[in-house]
Formats: sequence, structure tokens, C-alpha cells
Amino acid sequence: MTAYFIRRFLLIIPTFLGITILVFTVTRMVPGGPIERMLTEAQLASGDQVSFQSNNQGIAGSTLSESQLNQLKEYYGFDKPILESYGIWLKNILLLDLGYSTRYGEPVWESIKQRLPISIYYGVMTMLLTYMVCIPLGILKAIKHKTHIDNISSILVFIGYAIPGYVMGIIVITIFAFYLEWFPLSGFTSNNFDELSFIGKVKDILWHSVLPLIAYMSGAFAVMTFLMKNSLMDNLAADYVRTAMAKGMEFKTAVVKHAFRNSIIPIATNFGENITLFLAGSFLIEKIFNIDGFGLLGYESLVERDYPVVMGILVIGSLLSLIGNILSDICVALVDPRVRFGA
Amino acid sequence: MALIQFSPLTLKTFKRFRSVKRGYWSAIIIISLILLSLVAEVFVNSRALMVSYEGEWYFPTYGAIIPGDVFGLDYQYETNYRDLKQKFNDEDSDNWVLLPPVPYNAFETDLTVGNYPPNAPSFETQHYLGTDTVGRDIVARLVYGFRIAIFFSLFLLICNYVVGTAIGCLMGYWGGAFDLLFQRLIEIWSNIPFLYVIMIIASIIVPNFWSLVIVMLMFSWMSMTWYMRTATYKEKEREYVMASRALGAGTARIIFHHIIPNTVSIIITFIPFSVAGGITALTSLDFLGFGLPPPTPSWGELLRQGIDNLQSPWIVSSIVMSMVLVLTMVTFIGEAIREAYDPKKHTIYE
Repeated sequence: MTAYFIRRFLLIIPTFLGITILVFTVTRMVPGGPIERMLTEAQLASGDQVSFQSNNQGIAGSTLSESQLNQLKEYYGFDKPILESYGIWLKNILLLDLGYSTRYGEPVWESIKQRLPISIYYGVMTMLLTYMVCIPLGILKAIKHKTHIDNISSILVFIGYAIPGYVMGIIVITIFAFYLEWFPLSGFTSNNFDELSFIGKVKDILWHSVLPLIAYMSGAFAVMTFLMKNSLMDNLAADYVRTAMAKGMEFKTAVVKHAFRNSIIPIATNFGENITLFLAGSFLIEKIFNIDGFGLLGYESLVERDYPVVMGILVIGSLLSLIGNILSDICVALVDPRVRFGA
Repeated sequence: MALIQFSPLTLKTFKRFRSVKRGYWSAIIIISLILLSLVAEVFVNSRALMVSYEGEWYFPTYGAIIPGDVFGLDYQYETNYRDLKQKFNDEDSDNWVLLPPVPYNAFETDLTVGNYPPNAPSFETQHYLGTDTVGRDIVARLVYGFRIAIFFSLFLLICNYVVGTAIGCLMGYWGGAFDLLFQRLIEIWSNIPFLYVIMIIASIIVPNFWSLVIVMLMFSWMSMTWYMRTATYKEKEREYVMASRALGAGTARIIFHHIIPNTVSIIITFIPFSVAGGITALTSLDFLGFGLPPPTPSWGELLRQGIDNLQSPWIVSSIVMSMVLVLTMVTFIGEAIREAYDPKKHTIYE
């Protein structure tokens, strides 16, 4: 099985190359790159030309001279063919150099590093809370199958599942932040965050994160709850639980000691997939709550055509999801010795 | 005499589907909504349903525009039927106008002097859910937005399933190098953040309905392909496939006559979830401004307006309620279909 996982890890390489080449090519082929953006800005600044005409006139009508333009192109590496500049970019990545943001001029890694704690905070909190609520709820629903508790919670969970997280965000913002004013409208911390005591800071962050966490959780919630419920019910129906019951074991003990342990397996396999959630989150939710996270950074840099940042996020994001997939398989193998991969 | 003979198994599945009440009723409501949305012009429209003028009847809903001078007005462009109705009422003549329940279309702005949109819901102006920030009727935007979203989602679903089933079946049936090649391709393709690429594409070309379907198809064919591949792999190993091959059936016949009919439950089970996914995807794109160009009536655009104008609660509440209702009902249908195909009968301890 070790050989199988080594093979899986090696397969990351071609996939990773494929993803990055594709997106790299797309960013190169598309008009409106950083240079065009700068030209427009320069023109707007000089004001001697109506900006919307610049597109038709192209480079010829721009305010920059030919040599300046070439310098710019060279600076951003746009003067070389796609494959060559991809090679240079890849070499830098291997040396752990993500390049410089064309928007801020600071290293891409710096921008990403600033956002990481926020994204990790929301990722971890979402995962913890989801597990903490879904496992007990799933057990309850399995034991109380087809009762009112089960039916009503099913409907609620399904509604949460049906609507996208950001729409859930809009709902909770409208009700709890705008009308009831229980929670802040947006942001990660209050303006006076630095003046607060440690406990005050913790409270402040928690206070700000209640609504976004609801939005983050609403989707994953249904999947986990039903996974837990169905797998527990499958196990309850299995022969070994019937045997235990037949020997006179109490139902409660049978659930806790036998069925529950086995039904946790599918939940554990989900763990690896959640790693991507740490970072990816949802930029729509981040946009609505104005959280300065990883997703929002990706979205903004894409809108602003800040391709080094886009590529940097792609590198980290895709690596994490590829590794996360393998990790979740490893989790399965660890938790359940019956699973054999690579047969 | 039924035209199509359903097998007893299909009938039993359908019976089980009907026994899941909330799914069954959701299906009836959603299907009626889709059918009604096809003739939405009858219910929500600025054109009158019927005009009786000087003893003659006119039906302006469908067909060419009727210029104002036909009804004795002093202009050549399309008649404003709301004004016409007002005029007939004032004149107290025998002429009359029958307007639809919501006498506005999705594009016109209803502006009155000294009154800035968005306007709150009002029965007097017949804006039952109010107007949006430029004065368009919200009911009209919702209804026509629904029609676009649901048909976008249905067309996307058909394309996805055709591509997914074709490639998936071949991957599972042929296996080998073809399977391996597409496996890698799917892995690469599904790791590309699709919203990124759509945003990039949308910034170059202004998408229309069909180009958006094609772009979305490029990034959503993978999941169906994957399910069909697994299903075909399983079916291929079974005796009936071997038997038909021994009888001389070719690849096409085995796939179309044997494997696909036996995997149809997978395809049907995923339909409601794909519909919900399609609506959500289009709404998100429109919300960000990368979807269908304005002034196309769109749920995403209304959602954007709603969150930007929280002080006008009728916008955000009507769009959110519509989304919650439609998506929840679609999900209920999905749950019922799954229950119908795979009834889970569990031992329960008393």
C-alpha cells in the first residue's frame, strides 16, 4: 500500500504542471493584462486623451514610448514566448519564489501570508463547529429516525443545504446585522481592536465571526449530518449490533460501544477534503462579509489582473487540494484496516 | 391504451416517489412553475391581454406591436396600455382594456415625478413587491429571471449529461489508455478554479445565454463523466453484458441498449441537484457581474441590489425568499427521487 501512496504522490507532479500551464497560458493570452492596465492608468493620469479610445488605438496612441514599453514588458517577463516564461516562473516556484505583485509591488508571499491567519481561523472554526454539531445531531437523528425531531431537523438542514452559502450570508446579515443589530455588518475586527485587552480581543473576533461562520457552515452541515445519520443507521442494522442486542446489551451501550465507532469512518474520510476548505473558503462569503481572506485576495487580484498573485494562490490552492485528496485516502486506510488501496 | 409501457419496476419506483410527500408536491409545484413561466407574458406584461376598441377586439400579448394611433392615440410607437386603460376610464366609454395581473414588463422603468426608486411595495401602483433601484417592477424581474435561470440550468444539464454520459461510458467501457488519459485530464480540469476562468472569459467577450451555457459546460462536464465511468465499470463486468457480447452485439449496441438503461437511475438521481447547481452558478455569476449582461432580468443582479440596498428590505427579502423556495423544493425533489430509487430500509430497535 505504501507503493500505492507513493505513486499517488508522484502523480501530483504531472497534474500540478497541467493546471499551472493551463492557467498560465490563459493569463498570457487574454488581453487586458497588467501592462494594458498601466497604460490606461497612465493615460488617465496624463489626461490628454479620452481613455476609452485607447483600446482602439492600441499601443501606438499611448503616452509611453516604445522603449519604455519594452522595459515594462521585460520587467514583467512578457517579452518572451509563453513556454519560456513559464519555465522561468516554474524555476522560481521551485526556489519558493512566488514573484512580485504587479498591484502592490510587494512579494506575493507577503500578501498571501497576511491573509493566511484569517482564512485558517475561519477554516478551522468551520470544521470544528461542523463536527461538533453534526456528529451529535446525526446520532440523534439516527436514533430518533422518522420522529418529529428527525423530520423537522431534516427540513431545516435541507434548506441550509439548498441555498448557497453566500445567500445564507445575505440572509443573516439582513436579519441579525442590519435590522436587529446584534452583530457587526462586516469585517474581521473592530476599529479599536488594538486598544482591547486580550479577552476583549478574543470576544471581538468571536463577535465578528458568528455570522460568517453560519454562512460557511450551512452547506457542509447537511452533508456531514446525513453522512453521520446514514452510516450509523447502516451499522445499527448490521448483524454485529443485532448480536450484541440479542445477548442482552442495552441499546445505548450498543450504540456507543459498537455502532458509533464504525460509523465514524466515513466522517473521518471527509477530513482530508476539509483541508482545502481551510484556504479556499468561499470568496463570495468573504466578499459579502468583507473579510480580508485568501478567497477575496484571489478574487481581487483576478479583477485587477494581478497575475503573479493569481498564480501564487493557484499554486498553494491546487497543491493543498491534491495533497488533501491523498490525505483523506490515507485517513481511510488508517481508520479502517479493511480498506486496501491499489489492488 | 398507454403509448409508453412502463415496466413494473419503473411503476414501483414512481409509486415510492409519490409516497415521499414533500418531494412529490415540490415536483408538481416546480413543474407547474416552469410551464407557467413559458407563458409568463400572460401574467406579467406591460401589454394588455385584450383591448376592446370601437367594437373591435385586439389581443396584443403575443405578436407584433400595436402602435398607439390604432387606439386613437397621437403616437406611432407601441401603445402604453396602462395609460390607455386610464384614458378609457376617464372617457367613460364602452372601450375597455384588460391588463395582466402585473401590468409591467421586466425592462421598463416606472418613474413618477418626485418619487425616487426603489419604491416600496404598493397595491395602488400594482408593484406588488415594489420596484428595484432603477424603478423596474420586482415581480416582473423575478418571474423573467426565474425563466432564464431555470432554462439555462436545464439546457446546461442536458449538455452536461450528453457529454458526461458519452465520455464516461467510453472511459468505463474501453478502460486502458483512454481511461487513464481522461482521468488525468479530469483531474487537471477540475482543479482549475472555474470561476476564475469564467471571469477572465467574461471580461473579454460579453456572454450571451448560449455562450454562457458553453463556457459553463466546459467546467461542469466532469462530475457526470466520473459517475458514469464508475457505473459503466461495474455494469461491464456483469454477465448480461458478456452474454450480449457473445451473441455478437457491438460496442454501440451494448452501451446504448444495455449499459445506459441500467445506469439510468444514476442519471435521474442527479438531475435535481444539477438543476439547483445550475441556478446557483448562474446567480453567483450574475451577482458578481460576470454573467448575462444587463438589463437581462436576473436573480443574481437582484441579489446584488438587495445587499447594496438593505434599507429597502423588499428587494432583498423577495429575491432571497424566491431563491430559498425554489432551491429547497428542487432539493426536496432530489431527496425523493433518491429515496425512490434506493429505499433504505433499516432495522429499528424499539
